[in-house]
Amino acid sequence: MMDFLTSRAFKGTVFVLLVAGLIILPFFLRPFGLLLVAMWMVHAVAALGLNLTLGYAGQISMAQGAFVGIGAYCTGLMTLAGVPYPVAFLCSGALCFAIGWILGYPALRVQHHYLAFVTLAFSTLVFLVMRNEEWLTNGIYGLTDIPRPILFGWNTGKAKDFYFFTLLMTSILAFCVWWIIRSPWGRAFVALRENPVRALSLGVDTRRYTLMAFAMGSSIGGFAGALYAPLVQFFEPNSFSLTLSLKLLLMVIVGGAGTFFGPFIGAATEVLLPEWLRIAQGYYLIIYAMLVMVLMMFCPTGIIGLGERLISHLRQKKISSERSAQAQVMGTDKPGQKEGAGQ
Amino acid sequence: MTPVLQVTNIRKQFGGLTAVDGVSFSVNEGEILGIIGPNGSGKSTLFNCVLGQLQPTEGEVRVDGQLVTGLRPCDLNRLGVSRTFQLLQVFPQLSVRDNLILAGQEHKGSMGTRLFGARDAGLTMDANRMIEFFRLSHVADEKAGGLSYGQQKLLDAAMAFMAGPRLVLLDEPAGGVNLTMLGHLRERLQAINAEQNATFVVIEHNMEFVMALCDRIIVLAEGKVIAEGTPDAIRSNPEVIEAYLGH
Repeated sequence: MMDFLTSRAFKGTVFVLLVAGLIILPFFLRPFGLLLVAMWMVHAVAALGLNLTLGYAGQISMAQGAFVGIGAYCTGLMTLAGVPYPVAFLCSGALCFAIGWILGYPALRVQHHYLAFVTLAFSTLVFLVMRNEEWLTNGIYGLTDIPRPILFGWNTGKAKDFYFFTLLMTSILAFCVWWIIRSPWGRAFVALRENPVRALSLGVDTRRYTLMAFAMGSSIGGFAGALYAPLVQFFEPNSFSLTLSLKLLLMVIVGGAGTFFGPFIGAATEVLLPEWLRIAQGYYLIIYAMLVMVLMMFCPTGIIGLGERLISHLRQKKISSERSAQAQVMGTDKPGQKEGAGQ
Repeated sequence: MTPVLQVTNIRKQFGGLTAVDGVSFSVNEGEILGIIGPNGSGKSTLFNCVLGQLQPTEGEVRVDGQLVTGLRPCDLNRLGVSRTFQLLQVFPQLSVRDNLILAGQEHKGSMGTRLFGARDAGLTMDANRMIEFFRLSHVADEKAGGLSYGQQKLLDAAMAFMAGPRLVLLDEPAGGVNLTMLGHLRERLQAINAEQNATFVVIEHNMEFVMALCDRIIVLAEGKVIAEGTPDAIRSNPEVIEAYLGH
């Protein structure tokens, strides 16, 4: 049982059940519920990107919210100008890839909290551009009436249709991330996080992988922004302030950095939990903050890490009970020896 | 015959301190060269200059006749130069097998093929062979961080050999290893040397280990070479006895 809980078959089953659940969910939810679950998926995609940069490659970034913003503005501006959505979607990812690559250069020189401040400064810079450069972004008024895409005759304008479109894109992007982390690149990213000096001595070009980790993570953030724009259809610069970057960071840490499902769970605690805890009214934030503090104190590896610790504990318990049972059997098999020992 | 490694007049200064002062030596194919000397004599700094971790102030390094001074460690590794470190350097969150696959994957294909190709980069068989060779089969799927110190030391050495290097530089491979594991490690290194004609340079403080393993030894003191010769010649060299071995 314990082995099954950690097996690939179990993880695959969870994934299939999750997708199946998300497919049937719209038939039981109202439009607001659909919007909420779609919002969870968009945040999960953005957190997946940050997880690649931070959780796997160990490069701290406090700019993921800015990349979501760049992606959203890119898609918003292009689709409002009449560019087809697929082109705008791809451009958002490509633009964030290029900017992320450039932002990766400071990571070649500085690490940890110094790098955090570099990315924080970038995040502020992007926010200022979005707010002040009115000719480009419409300033504090933001972008309105962003159209939802029509793809091969499929109009995603209605809530249910756009929900399914978000689910499809989330599945594709999650598959891409899963593919990267299970490939030799994923192994190289982990090596970069755990011991860059040793990795370099084994032929891992840490410079190129660092830049790639930033570029890919940022690009996925850009794709999340490209989904966010037609989902909400209206946004302004405050949607992508530093708060969003901090929230995404929290999603990755609380869910479990360096695990595939961590960002999904982290995004659920940040997007869905507030709705479920509405009953607590104003106390929600207090409850949430206390839960995070307790989690970080006792399980810094996040909710996934908590699950893994539980499984490991149960497995140890099972092994020791098996050993004691075995010892008992051996003891009863040799009664003569036992009696002899007693004399 | 061109030596596998040719180090000429390497000097490394840190401000006013000269850590390595004009060291030259060469290593031929299949040879095991030992470098010994008291703490602070410049052995590890010399290693780091040879391996591109530090830029030497002066001098040059050639591998198979090719100038490699100042080349990045990853580029040097792809030329067939591998190393181990004084302190354990495994990847604790990866399994033993994944540690070994990682040690070989960057020698296979391009960045593109590594992204779109097989997860193991076609290295599972090679990794399994190395696991068997270093007798780590019973822990092959364990996370490296959960192994004993001796097992991690074996894994560390195994990683250095994973890509079939031409030259391996081992920095204190016997440090902190118990006697049983030490004999096992020496025997494995000698077997690889015999089977693959691999060339080694070994820094070591354990005299018994280094005398039994090496064909030739150079002795460093205060950043300079004070003696060079066979283990027997070094053992009886009065200058070495005075500076390092003691009476």
